[in-house]
Amino acid sequence: MIRAIADAAGDSLDISKVSRQKKDALFELAARIALLSEQYRASHAAIARAAAAEKRKALKAGLDLLTVGVSRDSLESGFSASVPRPRADAGAELEWMLVRSGICGIAAEEHYSILMRRMTAFLGVEYYGKAELWLLEKVKRRKTRSESLVVPGELPDVIRILAMDKRNLERALHASGRDIATAALAGCPQESMDLARPLYGKIGAAALEDDAARLRSRLSGDEIAQAQATFLEVVRSLEERGEFRLGEEDELSADPEFVAALTKAILGLDSSLIKGAFRSAQGVLVATAMQGMQPAAHDRILETLSKKEIKRILDAIDDSDPLPRRALQGAGKELASRLFEAAAAAKAPRAALERLAAVRDWED
Amino acid sequence: MIQWNADLARRLQCRDEEKKDLGPYIARLMDLDRKARGEGFLSLESELPAIDDPLLEVGVRLVMEGVSGEALEEILATYLLIEARSGWPFLKACVAIEGLLALAESDDPALMARKLLPYFGADRALAALEELEKGSANGSAR
Repeated sequence: MIRAIADAAGDSLDISKVSRQKKDALFELAARIALLSEQYRASHAAIARAAAAEKRKALKAGLDLLTVGVSRDSLESGFSASVPRPRADAGAELEWMLVRSGICGIAAEEHYSILMRRMTAFLGVEYYGKAELWLLEKVKRRKTRSESLVVPGELPDVIRILAMDKRNLERALHASGRDIATAALAGCPQESMDLARPLYGKIGAAALEDDAARLRSRLSGDEIAQAQATFLEVVRSLEERGEFRLGEEDELSADPEFVAALTKAILGLDSSLIKGAFRSAQGVLVATAMQGMQPAAHDRILETLSKKEIKRILDAIDDSDPLPRRALQGAGKELASRLFEAAAAAKAPRAALERLAAVRDWED
Repeated sequence: MIQWNADLARRLQCRDEEKKDLGPYIARLMDLDRKARGEGFLSLESELPAIDDPLLEVGVRLVMEGVSGEALEEILATYLLIEARSGWPFLKACVAIEGLLALAESDDPALMARKLLPYFGADRALAALEELEKGSANGSAR
């Protein structure tokens, strides 16, 4: 039996007696608590002000407990002692349970999106979509932060390699668990977060980024390094179980035939096509792909770019470490795919398209 | 984690003919797992219209959002708690939640099956496992 179901068994609640109007009001209350949780994460002092102004008895009692610093472990029992569960009134009982859940979530400094999901679950599945819309609106107004704290180590490279096949990175992130994954990403450059974010929906991506930013200021370098070591251990374990295969150490260069094919495909393109495609491509992608080309192709690419663009690409090459064959060829194939689209749109000669398609569809 | 509880075990009880539906249901959860592992979690969006159980649908959406572990378990348990299910609907919901937790952890389908099969009861679990393995061996990647 699932632990949470066993734990909740004594808490059974019949919400069929609760009116729609009451549930709507509780939804608004949940939204207010979710916003309070966000304020609490920024500054605990915000809760004291909210407690002083709060009119609802249950919420006020919960906020008072948070204000006086009742520990997370004692919060649930403290809340039950301060506000007895009103079993005679289904609506009041539902509010009591929702508020208790919210207060515990605030104390745990949970992300507002998780807390909103947790509280609105008490209102039933029909409120899932309403919570979704509320969260999406909140995510839309969110200010993004791009600061990063890089803890020295191999994780950013491993994430880059895993991201060459998004399923690998996704599996590693899920298998390591959200807490470890977030703490590990907290010590990585923004590029690693940018690779992980698209694997989640908009709400999940915002939560991941917010939580990593928060952990960056809360955890010590040693704690982040420990999370990264655990994440890498999970990656190694998945690799040992044959879940995915990372490149071998002796495969730190692309297949010579692949290098020749990619070089020929680049040399056969019009300058304007190369210029357009490379200007819009990420520096890391270009830098990685260029490790799988001959010098003639490097010269061809660089001569089409402005000084500023050349510096961006060369800096990215300087920053890049040796990567496995699969990563190099993955980047080359991705670049060939983008060039193919641009070339097809520009009605490039058939031979040029065929050369690009051959690289794009290369079997590793 | 199996944590037996007499009251819940009673609520899980249902008729043998209802338990026959458990095999296809577990197979369906394994299909979702295969799809997530093969095409990525966000690919599960295309499966949502075919899911007729609101609890399972909400659970898949939560997994796609990146909710996992204790938070996922507690949110889904809350949905179950307020629905007051018993018998087959309760058993099915418990299996769905256990399957969703396995999905969120990126368990492979075989491991997921081993977590779900105990819901058949000790006397039927082995036969159900053999049935599922036979299905896999026949290439029935449903």
